[in-house]
Amino acid sequence: MSVILKLTRAGPLTSIQDLGRFGMLRHGISASGPMDRAAYVSAGQLAGGGQGGVEFTTAGVEITIAYGRCRVGFTGGNFVGRVNDQALAWPGAAELGTGDRLAITPGAWGNYGYLRFDGDIDAQSMMGSIATSSRAGLGGLAGRALQVGDVIELSGSGAEPIVPAARERADGPIRIIWGIHADFFSQELRLKFLDASFAVSSRLDRMGVRLDDNDKVFADASNLSLVSDAIVPGDIQILGDGTPIVLMRDHQPTGGYPRIASVITADLDRFAQLRPGSAVAFRPVTVEHAHALLRGSKT
Amino acid sequence: MRFGTTLTDVANRAAIVLAAMLDNAPIPGVVEIMPNLVSVLLRYDPLLASPSVIQGELRLRLFGLAGAGREPRRWTIPVVFDGPDLAETAEALCMSTEAFITAHNAAPLRVLATGFAPGFVYCGLHNGLILPRRTVVRPSVPAGSVLFAAGQTAITATEMPTGWHVIGRTAFSNFDPAGHPPTLIGSGDLIAFEIAR
Repeated sequence: MSVILKLTRAGPLTSIQDLGRFGMLRHGISASGPMDRAAYVSAGQLAGGGQGGVEFTTAGVEITIAYGRCRVGFTGGNFVGRVNDQALAWPGAAELGTGDRLAITPGAWGNYGYLRFDGDIDAQSMMGSIATSSRAGLGGLAGRALQVGDVIELSGSGAEPIVPAARERADGPIRIIWGIHADFFSQELRLKFLDASFAVSSRLDRMGVRLDDNDKVFADASNLSLVSDAIVPGDIQILGDGTPIVLMRDHQPTGGYPRIASVITADLDRFAQLRPGSAVAFRPVTVEHAHALLRGSKT
Repeated sequence: MRFGTTLTDVANRAAIVLAAMLDNAPIPGVVEIMPNLVSVLLRYDPLLASPSVIQGELRLRLFGLAGAGREPRRWTIPVVFDGPDLAETAEALCMSTEAFITAHNAAPLRVLATGFAPGFVYCGLHNGLILPRRTVVRPSVPAGSVLFAAGQTAITATEMPTGWHVIGRTAFSNFDPAGHPPTLIGSGDLIAFEIAR
């Protein structure tokens, strides 16, 4: 199978992703990978997923099939999909042939959506992954975000598509475990952190999501000078000016600002989908509880 | 696993030795080992290993930490000492530029940590050559910049902003995205700086 897709509309943060480039922190490279991992996997099941997928944002995306036939699976936040102006069920899948145009526009909620295909995206694997790292300029097409006019080739054939388990949209507090520097904050401040209501600011990208600290929890945070440590996605770092930032998939590999907590893996996808202005409250859980949530043995 | 909250020689050496030991005798379920300045990150897959098992395995390895460690690899890095902050740096240390370069290159430095950016290395600790960072951050310095601050010399392998003093440049590149591995210099290696000819 050989399929040629052409990008006819793309937002500035549209990128090729796969599950990520792990084990490269010591070389100065964070893993990247989908902002909503579960949605990426689910879109792959709908497509009968080959290697890689296209992550898009609320700016939407449009692709035209220049040559060939393929099956596309799509999910993520809430979006509206159309093939040649005919509305599609979201999430879902569609068969596309030469000349077909798939257009995605934003819907009611969410920041990120995914297109996966039944063939492999033809991109050069770097350190075992084709995921685009906006920070390191690696992966995807020439290490950059996708642009209008880009051509994506698919090769090989995927697996049988399967209908993924319905993904319920959870709400409620974002669960955290205390971070590597939690003990540098006073007990009083830690309690305030849990009581406070934060909001997702408009300053968010694949590297991190800055929060508005409406209750001024960290307004008086002293600028601690710390020895730098490796970062993992979900770490909540308090910048020198008191701004909390949740570090995401394209995070800096190491950081020297104090990290009070980390969003648990089971809640990181949901957090990534919160739009600017969304209220955020945090609730602590134990590491064991976080693992149980990840295994799906607790909700 | 943290060995201190400030950068000390002892804590740095412990972190490097533990990471090397974990590289050589991996704990099942641990998917990434990252030596930092005074700590080691162990990233594990909770579906493959439990924290208590990993803690137990770590305890066993810590028992043999003293006396462990590998023979360090040695590198010679040729540097053109013509950075925009070189004269100011020497002056702040009450030395002539020539004397600063001689003192800077006098003894090999240990790589204290990597990972700040692709191919970036921190080397230290300079004996007596201690200067705080600049008050003004330079928005961009090129790959191969040789930086100096806080008793350390760092080498960049990508373009980046920095608040360190730029004392020179090197043609040596510690980052090749297509390489296996993509960087050559690791924590614990010894680096001798020399004047590029």
